[in-house]
Amino acid sequence: MHGGINRPEPGTGLKVHFKDSKGNHIKTVEVNEGDSILEIAHEYDIDLEGACEASLACSTCHVILPPEYYDLLPEPGDDENDMLDMAFGLTDTSRLGCQVIMKKELDDIIVTLPAATRNMYVDGAKPTTH
Amino acid sequence: MSIPLKLAVVGGGPSAFYVVSRVLQQLPQNSALGARLRVHIYDRLWAPHGLVRYGVAPDHPEVKNCTSKFDETAHDPRVRFFGNVNIGAAPINPSPDVTNLPLSSLLPHYSHLLLANGCPTPRVHPALSLPSSVCRPALDVVHWYTSHPASAGPPDLSRTEHVTVIGHGNVALDVARILLSHPSRLEPYDVPNAVLDILRTSRVKHVSIFGRRGPLQASFAPRELREMMSLDDVSFTPLSQDIIERSESEINAVEKISEPQVAGGQTLGIGTGYSRAQKRMFNMLKSGSKAHYGTTPKTFSIEFFKSPVGLEYSSGPHSVSLKLSHTTLDSPGPNARAVPSGEFSTIDTDLVLPSLGYIPDSSFFADNLSSSWIATPGLSHVRNNSGRIVDTEGNLIRNAYVSGWAASGAKGVLARTVEDARVVSSAIVEDYTKSSTGDSVDDQTQSSVLSTSPEITLDSIPSEVQIGLERGAVTTYEDWKQIDAEEIRRGQEEVVIGDLKKERQRMDWSSAKVFLSDVRDKTATSSS
Repeated sequence: MHGGINRPEPGTGLKVHFKDSKGNHIKTVEVNEGDSILEIAHEYDIDLEGACEASLACSTCHVILPPEYYDLLPEPGDDENDMLDMAFGLTDTSRLGCQVIMKKELDDIIVTLPAATRNMYVDGAKPTTH
Repeated sequence: MSIPLKLAVVGGGPSAFYVVSRVLQQLPQNSALGARLRVHIYDRLWAPHGLVRYGVAPDHPEVKNCTSKFDETAHDPRVRFFGNVNIGAAPINPSPDVTNLPLSSLLPHYSHLLLANGCPTPRVHPALSLPSSVCRPALDVVHWYTSHPASAGPPDLSRTEHVTVIGHGNVALDVARILLSHPSRLEPYDVPNAVLDILRTSRVKHVSIFGRRGPLQASFAPRELREMMSLDDVSFTPLSQDIIERSESEINAVEKISEPQVAGGQTLGIGTGYSRAQKRMFNMLKSGSKAHYGTTPKTFSIEFFKSPVGLEYSSGPHSVSLKLSHTTLDSPGPNARAVPSGEFSTIDTDLVLPSLGYIPDSSFFADNLSSSWIATPGLSHVRNNSGRIVDTEGNLIRNAYVSGWAASGAKGVLARTVEDARVVSSAIVEDYTKSSTGDSVDDQTQSSVLSTSPEITLDSIPSEVQIGLERGAVTTYEDWKQIDAEEIRRGQEEVVIGDLKKERQRMDWSSAKVFLSDVRDKTATSSS
């Protein structure tokens, strides 16, 4: 299941650094102008879902950007904001990965994945005795 | 030798497929553990995908794109799907083609169980008990426009001018939107022609949507509300100044007590304050619809702080009169409770559609084996600890898991199901990995209902299911893919307008059965 994009010759592409929700570096990849963060994540096996396949009908490709990169992007429209509203762990610099399209100014962007899991319900279990 | 991971999944909706997909991914086929993994997904309906097929509104086709992921999951040779198999104590569907299989006949074949059977039952309101011609669950309307096998038939829209929906969630808005839309808007989508025919006879002029709390506590999603405000020829009755002022003072009160969480990450939408979604939706409600009120043939209103207390037949121009108790909030905030204010009012309407939340299928939990798994009171979800089922005594049920709405209760959109699937799949894989390395789990706090034999046959299925497969009553994923392709092909034969074709022409079980039997006959002829 890959992103359907081409990987640039090593050393020639724009760089994207992926981090997990705790800020740990996952991997740095090289990409071409015009690729979306969602396509890039799929191409390089980063765990970003993209359930609606970039049609702005879900929030499963939610990512968090550094403010200085966030400001380089056009403002999200109502449709994207409506979906971001449903994202868990929404921040001031959240975007949908499918709407972030790589361009030269975004070289070296750090893309942070949101906390993978909210706390699931606990109905109480007996403490385990060892 | 340790036991294999032979997983029975009850329910073939999105949470089943998302959990299974992640388990497959974490235990690849070429790994020692992955080679001993088998997954059998059972659904009581003949078609897979649960609410994605029988819940998502037809004018939201993009939401259904997730089925390509489900296809990929089902394509793994370790996965099988069995449709038309009802697991549980009491048969729910009278169709002779549904195989009814008690949990006790299923479990001996499996080492692991995942309940992904959702919350299919609408909550009822004791004050709303008139016959279905004037009062029926909003879910009935969803079942009707999706051709759900348990559909109770169409509402009589030719005698309905005024509809009242009770509840402020997305099901309420979906139903209101479909009832208010011009049928031509819906034609290109996956709406059966018989449904469009009924909608063409509709005399619906107004839909009122009632909730017992205020604009800031509504459970709509912003997208659904925006769509309502953007419908052609439909306008929104403006919010009263009183509601706007009450909500604005609530926002001010809450913002004074909950300081914004600025430190570290600037998280929005968590804590005791209103989320960004709630505030944006309040602004949408204040701004109103694109079409000006009073300029359109159809209207809708969203009514707040009112709760139904009685319903009786009316001699007036509309069929029934609905008595409402007015409410106020016990405190400001997103989790405020509605308390009666002591005032009452009455409205006349033709059709009342309650949408007050959804609960698990109680017939499934009528079984001796599973009756202690359901949370009481309220029966809102299966008791669990991060996806591991626990009984009322707090004992873990060994190797038994629950996901999706069955685990969390009926709230949240697909994104939440995706997130929760990470938790549940990790629990399954972690427990299995531990048990296979002999890192034994404490038997004292666990009771076991599943097979613990290492000798369990990896590919066995219950004989009832085998018989159902042989007589063409139980469906496989391959059957579904044939029907899926045929539904799309039949849709493409239908020109809606210009070059626009219909997304698909969906089948019910009787036509799907005929189609599948034709396919089998052709295959038999060509191979003989």
